[in-house]
Amino acid sequence: MIRPRWRKVLSDLWDNKSRTLLVVASIAVGVFSIGMIAGAYEIISNDMGASYASAVPANIDMRIDPFNQVLLDSLQSMDGVKDAEGRGFFSVRTRHPGGEWTNLELVAIDDFNAVQINLLLPLQGNPVPADKQVILEQKALNDLSVKVGDDLDFQLPNGKIKTMTVVGIVQDQTTGAGDFLSPPLGYVTLDTLPWLGLPPLYNHLLVTVNGNSNDIDHIRQVSAAVTDKIEKSGRQVYRTKLNMSNEHPMASTVKAILGILMALGLLIVFLSGSLIANTLNSLLTQHLPHIGVMKLIGARSQQIFGMYIVLILSFGLIALLIALPTGGQAAYALSELIASKMNFNLQGYRIVPLAFTLQAIVALLVPLAAGFIPVNNGSRIKVQAAISGNGTASGKASSGWLERLGSRVKWLSRPMLISLRNTFRRKRRLLLTLLTLTIGGAIFIGVFNVQRSLNDYMVMTGKYFIADVTLSFDRPYRVNEINQAVMRIPHVQHVEGWLQLGAEIINSAGDTSANLSILAPPVDSKLIEPIMLQGRWLKPGDTTAITVGEAIWSDYPGLKPGDQLKLKLNGQEDYWTVVGIFRFISRDQIIAYASYDYISQLLSLTGQSSSYRVVTDQHSLEYQKQMAATIDSNLRGLGYHVSESQAGLATLQIASESLAILINFLLIMALLTATVGSIGLTGTMGMNVMERTREIGIMRAIGATDSQIMKTVMVEGLIIGMISWFLAAIVSFPITILLSRIISMAIFNSPSKFMLNPLGFLIWLGLVLVLAAVASVLPARNAAHLTIREVLAYE
Amino acid sequence: MNSAYTPSLIQLRQVVKRFKNSAGEFVALRGVNVDIPTSEFVAIVGKSGSGKSTLLNMITGIDHPTSGEVLVNGVNIYQMTESQRALWRGCNMGIVFQFFQLMPMLTLHENTMLPMDYCNVFSPAERPERAMELLKMVGLEQQAHKLPAAVSSGQQQTAAIARAMATDPPIIVADEPTGNLDSRSSDEIIELFNRLVEQGKTIILVTHDPSITKRTLRTLIISDGEIIDEAVAQALPLLSHAKMLKVTHLVKRMEISPGGMIIRKGQNVDNFFIIVRGQVEIVLESSKRPEVTLGQLGPGEFFGEIELIHGGDSIASVRAAPDAPVELVALPHKDFAEMLVGSPLTEEALSRIVQARLAQNRSADRRTGWW
Repeated sequence: MIRPRWRKVLSDLWDNKSRTLLVVASIAVGVFSIGMIAGAYEIISNDMGASYASAVPANIDMRIDPFNQVLLDSLQSMDGVKDAEGRGFFSVRTRHPGGEWTNLELVAIDDFNAVQINLLLPLQGNPVPADKQVILEQKALNDLSVKVGDDLDFQLPNGKIKTMTVVGIVQDQTTGAGDFLSPPLGYVTLDTLPWLGLPPLYNHLLVTVNGNSNDIDHIRQVSAAVTDKIEKSGRQVYRTKLNMSNEHPMASTVKAILGILMALGLLIVFLSGSLIANTLNSLLTQHLPHIGVMKLIGARSQQIFGMYIVLILSFGLIALLIALPTGGQAAYALSELIASKMNFNLQGYRIVPLAFTLQAIVALLVPLAAGFIPVNNGSRIKVQAAISGNGTASGKASSGWLERLGSRVKWLSRPMLISLRNTFRRKRRLLLTLLTLTIGGAIFIGVFNVQRSLNDYMVMTGKYFIADVTLSFDRPYRVNEINQAVMRIPHVQHVEGWLQLGAEIINSAGDTSANLSILAPPVDSKLIEPIMLQGRWLKPGDTTAITVGEAIWSDYPGLKPGDQLKLKLNGQEDYWTVVGIFRFISRDQIIAYASYDYISQLLSLTGQSSSYRVVTDQHSLEYQKQMAATIDSNLRGLGYHVSESQAGLATLQIASESLAILINFLLIMALLTATVGSIGLTGTMGMNVMERTREIGIMRAIGATDSQIMKTVMVEGLIIGMISWFLAAIVSFPITILLSRIISMAIFNSPSKFMLNPLGFLIWLGLVLVLAAVASVLPARNAAHLTIREVLAYE
Repeated sequence: MNSAYTPSLIQLRQVVKRFKNSAGEFVALRGVNVDIPTSEFVAIVGKSGSGKSTLLNMITGIDHPTSGEVLVNGVNIYQMTESQRALWRGCNMGIVFQFFQLMPMLTLHENTMLPMDYCNVFSPAERPERAMELLKMVGLEQQAHKLPAAVSSGQQQTAAIARAMATDPPIIVADEPTGNLDSRSSDEIIELFNRLVEQGKTIILVTHDPSITKRTLRTLIISDGEIIDEAVAQALPLLSHAKMLKVTHLVKRMEISPGGMIIRKGQNVDNFFIIVRGQVEIVLESSKRPEVTLGQLGPGEFFGEIELIHGGDSIASVRAAPDAPVELVALPHKDFAEMLVGSPLTEEALSRIVQARLAQNRSADRRTGWW
């Protein structure tokens, strides 16, 4: 038999279901958020590295002059080298027969069964293609709607078209990991290459190291030795990428983003705590007569304290039961989303102990902390004060400054005055509600601001890619010749020949400290509008002068114009003067610009180029794609070996899409905070209406219709909404600065510009007004539908 | 008072109200019929739980009857929606509550303007002035801009009356308006109500206070969900409400044409008669002598008690006044006797009246030479 006082606790839980729901929802939203984020953080931290490591990523990935098995064998025997494999990378175009062309990187492997590095995970069909067959990496399915058994056309640089059957789909977690811009991949045997008109040689070297494959310095040492050996064989190394075995290249970025989400999650917990405090305050106020009666018949303060603490713990427990499985599922769903975008695999659904513990702590301790003061005060109240109901909303005179200010407002109609003055009657409750809504709104607005500043980054990046079509050839052609051929095509307005090549920055010890991608446009190029941070852009007559992207500062902090860098370029080492540093997003790649005239001379390609930028008379992505296809077919028709023709905006679009994913994550969090805010507002309005039921009855008795009562309640909600919007707009400034700084540092490795997005302010205004209206409409409707008898009987 | 010839402002017809709760069904009103004409000052009294607040709620449209109808000014108020009724009530009825129920966040002046805003009566520019006039009328002009909590209980209640007058409604309904006031404040409130009645308002108030019922024009007593016959209550005020109700159930209603004989001298008397409406004449008649009118009795007065208490035939004739019919209720001899046994106070009071009337008859006889 349950003792009467515990029966009371049970009935307090059960009898007022809407209040129980409100408290449980307030707790559950925080518990859910923290469970989702902490769970995702743990799952991704573990699985991202584990999944990546399971594919045995190359510790050293080098692009070098063509080589064969002989070089591989000699590298394989080197100290520190565990395995060395070659790959042939060739850019081709592919299509479903009759469909549209899309770019694809074809990777040639000698023996698929002997692959030890960058393992391919079979997904469908046969993971080992026979000669003249192809298997596709799953990302390729985004651009190509093919299935195993379908034929694909491949257009080779020489213009020939070959058809191969897709025999399998695989996942490659390593090639292009962390590079959103990397093209989709297809795999063929080395023996297929001659049939495609390509040399059966490798141009990429993959190496795994002996010893600690997670020690980047060790890897760098092995890489230096390998480079040395390659160069001694008369080949050049164009680009070197070093990776640790169990750290996904994007791990730090993902963790940084999850860190932000975690911070937002904690904020939600804090906000839900303030909601709980609000609701429990109201509950205790409503229960004062009960407390009075219990004390009158002999209950001690500790007993009453104990009863309400058990009640609070029960709320927490119910919330935990709801939020634990949903939070766990959401954590897994979020992890899966991230995993699919980052191309790694999860180890399966599981309960994350850290998330579980955090959820339990949040569900039980936060309500206790939030409820301690109201419960303590409530249980210590004197019998007389409790029974007389002191502390209810019934007509206390108040002389606060807000009331004095409010009493001066005379020009509003009385019903509006009621809404206005009611808003400020429960100041602590109002304050907590405003806090919740303000923070929620500020984050919401902040996310939009961050989105704008990220987009601005993209727009800024666009200033370096002004061309409408970028053409690549598999060998250099005379600029004048290509210029004439392209300018003849209708709608083409301007053509520039650029050169691009890889270089290495050599440190004082003579080792490669960083890779540099050098672009060499004509110094008077119209197709680049650099944003200079320091120094100047290129000018005619520049020779060993470069302007470098700001990413250089991560390797050379404090580098300034006038400083010199030792570059290894085309096999030659020379000192180059940094004449300027420009703003440019590049996560793991340092971009530099040098004069076309000098570079072409250095490469003995004066007047020639294999890369061209074309400007057309219209600049939409669709138009650019159409023009790219036209120019491509024209030039191929003239016998030029075009390897790639790409719309200028396509690159930006891909990058924008990857940013959109991030923004969506942030928006989810913003919406969660908005949800907490709306629960808060609904709770506040519900409590306000509940406490003022009698007043609503009076209004009804003296002539207020349903709509007038609803208006009175809703206007109060809207006033709260408007105040919170105003405050959120102010608070969004520091939040924007903080968020955009953390995010852009995580993604771009450089701080972003503070920008405001009016859209965020407007959407939040609309949203908060709708939320306020919705949050008040239900209690208002209930209030309007109560009969006066019920209302006047309500105590 | 002669309500029969005045069109009723408020009519309750067979109003039944049942409440259901977990303990079962409870009947608060059992087929109540009430007529209240314009400009009446009516007190509704009854013990706790008798149904007086429910009756008031039926009149104000605050609660729904289970069956029956309520017509106010000819309008069946329960054919409106709750919301329409609220507006209608705001315009037609001022309500004064026991606990004042002013809006705590509005000043007395703003509180008084509020019904005008809701009902959209008087132009917005006129409202402040009218509210101030009303507050002046109730003597609160100095307090007009104070919040309710800053004035005394009596002042709050007078402000509530001012608010009830805001839309100039023909009816004011007050639920225990003096229940929380000292006697001085109570007097002032009742005085205020009297002035309003003089101005043509109809006032209905629920009260426990007998001193207030003395100052109203009419008293409706409710007991166990039924209205006690007003004539019975008036004639037999010392009966408990339960007994009054019992008598109400036992009496037979009769209507006598103008001049119609009710009791003839010398006849056996079987009933105790109470006059509900109209007048009766008590006469001594004889073929040998000219008829002598001993007196006239009106509503709430009774006859027949002398014969029932003392026994014997009627000592005089009683007939309806010649100008109008008379409505009576008649309590059979046996029930009358039981009533007296159950209420010694009433028996004592009736005995005194009988003695007085007999003395009066004897002196009349001597004057007229009947004996």
